[in-house]
Amino acid sequence: MKELNRREFIKNTTVATASVATVASGISLTTFAADPKESDPVTNEKRWGMLIDANKLSEVDIDDMVNACQEEQGWGGEVHSTGDQKSGWIKKVKVRDTATQRVSNLALMCQHCEEPPCVDVCPTNASMKREDGIVLVDKHRCIGCRYCMMACPYDARSFVHEDLTDQKEHMPRGKGTVESCTMCVHKVDKGEQPACAQAVSSDAVIFGDLLDPTSNIHQTLKNVQSTQIRADLNLNTGVRYSGI
Amino acid sequence: MSRLLIVLLSVMLSITAAHADHHIPNLGEKANEFKDDGKKAHKREGMSHAASLIMQRKMHPELLSHKRDKTLRQGVRGGYTQLQKCVDCHTSVDKNGEHIPVNAPDQFCSTCHEKVGVSLDCFSCHRTTPAEDM
Repeated sequence: MKELNRREFIKNTTVATASVATVASGISLTTFAADPKESDPVTNEKRWGMLIDANKLSEVDIDDMVNACQEEQGWGGEVHSTGDQKSGWIKKVKVRDTATQRVSNLALMCQHCEEPPCVDVCPTNASMKREDGIVLVDKHRCIGCRYCMMACPYDARSFVHEDLTDQKEHMPRGKGTVESCTMCVHKVDKGEQPACAQAVSSDAVIFGDLLDPTSNIHQTLKNVQSTQIRADLNLNTGVRYSGI
Repeated sequence: MSRLLIVLLSVMLSITAAHADHHIPNLGEKANEFKDDGKKAHKREGMSHAASLIMQRKMHPELLSHKRDKTLRQGVRGGYTQLQKCVDCHTSVDKNGEHIPVNAPDQFCSTCHEKVGVSLDCFSCHRTTPAEDM
């Protein structure tokens, strides 16, 4: 048998590894090329996002968005919670410029960050980000410590303080867990739009895949000046705003 | 007289034992209809119906928690195992035509769970009756 010296051994191993990698990438390519099915896991080829145009969005529009969210997800009917205890998945925020007194109205909800602080601080991995960028709470794991509520710069999360019944079938909610905007993940998975985006008739709210060059949101973001709230935190939010 | 008393007592005991052994869970409205029609629920490929039922009885927590992680974390929807499908078939209807929560006493879930002393935590968050539009 021929004896291998060190150099030859490394050369042969590298060739073998490279050929395995080629086969593996070929396999994964064919898997991704197929049309995504309901039974397939979501991938990071998509990143769901939303663009909210504060100039086009009236106060009535924001109220419509809040009402649509409440109706879709079933929050807001808490009887025993008071003040800050009440759930608020999406909020109407008024911003006043101190110099010009110009008032803008914003709809503020979970910004679905790429680097979510809520996920960083969660001790049980209940706070999580899906591959397609939607940030969720896994209530099976949530212990109600509320670290994520402290960590969120947007005050987007709420805690359920009371026993609930008659939840929506697609949106389990229960006492002792934290909840927030899910970007209507149950609808998005079916190829539909989130309830708040549907509630606004104008194009003030655009929902879509940020990574898809043909999508409306991608093209609009390319052409229109937009901003992320607290962009200084480098969280790369999925929800963007223009006109503020 | 004492012999008669012993016979009477043993008959009473056996009745109690028989009652405890044949504790039939309240299957729920749709599941009962399904069974009365002679259809076989929970039939799995490559398994007899009886084996499928035994598997469902023993493994339903594992099946459900496996699926819940896939659905929530990976977005895999649809499929056979869904808690809302359990609820749809296994809830009963009261005299007024209202659905009774599936975890209420003497309903489908609680019958067995109370008997074996295992608490169930699904319904502190999940809906206990079929959705309104059902």
